[in-house]
Amino acid sequence: MRPLHDVRIIIAALVTTAAVVVGVLFFASDYFIDFATSLAMWIALSESWTLLSGMTGYVSLGHVVFFGLGGYLTVLTFGMLPIWAALALSGACATGLAVLVGFPCFRVRGPYFVILTFGLSEFVKYIVVNVEARASKFGRLIFGGPDPNEVFLIMVGLAVAAFFLSYFIRRSRLGAGLRGIREDEIAAETTGVPVARLKLIAFGLSALIPGIAGGAFLFRSGYFEPIQAFNPSISFSMITMAVIGGTDDAYGPLIGAVALVTLSELLWANAPEIYMTVLGLLLVVFVIWVPDGIEGRLRNWWKTQRA
Amino acid sequence: MLSKRTVIGLLTAALLSIPATVQGAEKVRVGYSISRTGLYAVATPVQQQTYELWRDQINAAGGLSIGGKGKRQIEFVSYDDQSEPSKAAQIYEKLISSDKVDLLLSPWGTATHIAVAPVVERHKFPLIGSTASTTLVRDLGAKYMWFTEVTPADFGGDLPKLLGSIGIKRVAIIAMQLPLALETKKFLVPALHQAGIEIVFDQEYPPDIKDMTGLLTSVKGAAPDGVIALSYPNDSMLYLSTAREVGLTAKFQFLEIGPTEAFIQHKFGENLDGIVTIGHWSPDQKAWPKARPFYDAYKARFNEAPDNLDSVVSYMSAEILQQAVEKVGLNHEKIREAIATGTFDTINGLVRFKGATNVGTPNGYLQIQKGVPQIIWPDQIKTADFQPKGPWK
Repeated sequence: MRPLHDVRIIIAALVTTAAVVVGVLFFASDYFIDFATSLAMWIALSESWTLLSGMTGYVSLGHVVFFGLGGYLTVLTFGMLPIWAALALSGACATGLAVLVGFPCFRVRGPYFVILTFGLSEFVKYIVVNVEARASKFGRLIFGGPDPNEVFLIMVGLAVAAFFLSYFIRRSRLGAGLRGIREDEIAAETTGVPVARLKLIAFGLSALIPGIAGGAFLFRSGYFEPIQAFNPSISFSMITMAVIGGTDDAYGPLIGAVALVTLSELLWANAPEIYMTVLGLLLVVFVIWVPDGIEGRLRNWWKTQRA
Repeated sequence: MLSKRTVIGLLTAALLSIPATVQGAEKVRVGYSISRTGLYAVATPVQQQTYELWRDQINAAGGLSIGGKGKRQIEFVSYDDQSEPSKAAQIYEKLISSDKVDLLLSPWGTATHIAVAPVVERHKFPLIGSTASTTLVRDLGAKYMWFTEVTPADFGGDLPKLLGSIGIKRVAIIAMQLPLALETKKFLVPALHQAGIEIVFDQEYPPDIKDMTGLLTSVKGAAPDGVIALSYPNDSMLYLSTAREVGLTAKFQFLEIGPTEAFIQHKFGENLDGIVTIGHWSPDQKAWPKARPFYDAYKARFNEAPDNLDSVVSYMSAEILQQAVEKVGLNHEKIREAIATGTFDTINGLVRFKGATNVGTPNGYLQIQKGVPQIIWPDQIKTADFQPKGPWK
């Protein structure tokens, strides 16, 4: 039963996504495509964040570092590499960085890990700031990147990939191991789960798509400036979306991203202050009263309905 | 359940709004983004006020002339970009493709302008930049963006000439790590070397710097006779209060952005006297007949003097747009052509563009003297002589 159920869901999801994408490309205004690109990007980012933090309980507060790094590499190689190669490089380097810093970072847990990841992203940000300043660069600008429709397709591809990566890992042996780490790392290790290796794999995978998304975002904005590209609020937004949506299944970050990106779209233009207030309020409410997020609540409700 | 009163209220509001929309259809819609919150928010009111003054002056005179065929009132559509360049880019995207405005005015700040450049280029929508200065957009061959402010190549490269003319031999440089300051530094340092002026101290600092005591104590220790702070408004304020505390007494003290801002003038009063900054406008310069009327109109309207830099370059950008539209109407391609090839009469003299660069307005430096910014360099436009910075009060 289970595999069939999965196949049905996958086909339904892919067909729906394809229909929406075609609809958007043919009928939507430029502005809506821009909004849809942004939505796809946030889905990809918050899904990726839950791969590590939702599954293992190691909360990363510095995921923007992969996003910023992707943007930086893409702007550096613009004009030298084809688009796909620049994006592949961004993804590969982001994964590489995650694995590299994973060694020292995973020695600590809980609040120490949170602070360490945040510190790492700020550290990389200021390295880039200083490297750019030394190179007498004051922001980098590109004209003539790919068409907005193309960037939209790339972002949708990343969102779909991130969703399924998250979906399948949760249902795999790797996912079971990661959950074991979250519930009780010592017990997991004692029962033979290779915790060190699994954590590194999860960290690497969760960095891959943010790296590529950073590159794709650069094509959309045409502008790189390190303070913006490594802005910690990007990490905070990924987390907020995942927490509000729910971190226990791939639907959670999807729901969270749709809810928050739409809310932001409705509020930012006319009431940006209210948006930040609402965001803070939602986060508090969800952390205290709805820790399993919208998705968790829906799942429980569905179960009680059927019971 | 809605109460009867609410329903009646809503209906009345809906009915009342109908005439407004009908009238609105005839207005020319001009869009811009501005930082009302965030890091730059302290500096942006002058630009916004300048735009409002321009709009009201035009509307009072019957409206904006569209290609010589009748006049239409101007209506603004504006959003807060929260001092985030990426947000500003999103706003211009919205203004162009969702709000479908007729014309655009520029946001505040160099980083913001740079972020917006790819958007206007992609949509082929002309935008005259104002409170920003960069060679980046020019060097990429932008076709739809221009800058009324002179480039960092000018005010970075010319500064050693001013320093030479007043006998400064040893300088300390501190620079904020944001595009404008870094770009200025790129042109300043080689020019200092060439002029034989010694750099005795050189350090950069992050945009959100909260304390300059250590930095300025080191500057003092290097005993320069000139301090060049490539700064933004917030850190300019920090510099002024800290330099006073640590007793920095160099006779030449330069702050890049900020000293012309009214809020800094109010806050620091006499202590601002003697500070040098970038700027090339004064209402006292008789060569520009429109300068004094602008000053008077601004002062009458807002009860404070305009910013000698930001108000001026913003007003110039609006004047140029106005003159281009008067000539060719609202077609964006024609406006582009008109701006790229025309000469425009502004409050800072004649402006014409070579690529994205304003080649009509000369570079200059201002010094605050008795609370008033005076042009002290170059000789052709100066309104006062340089005076060594006196003791802090």
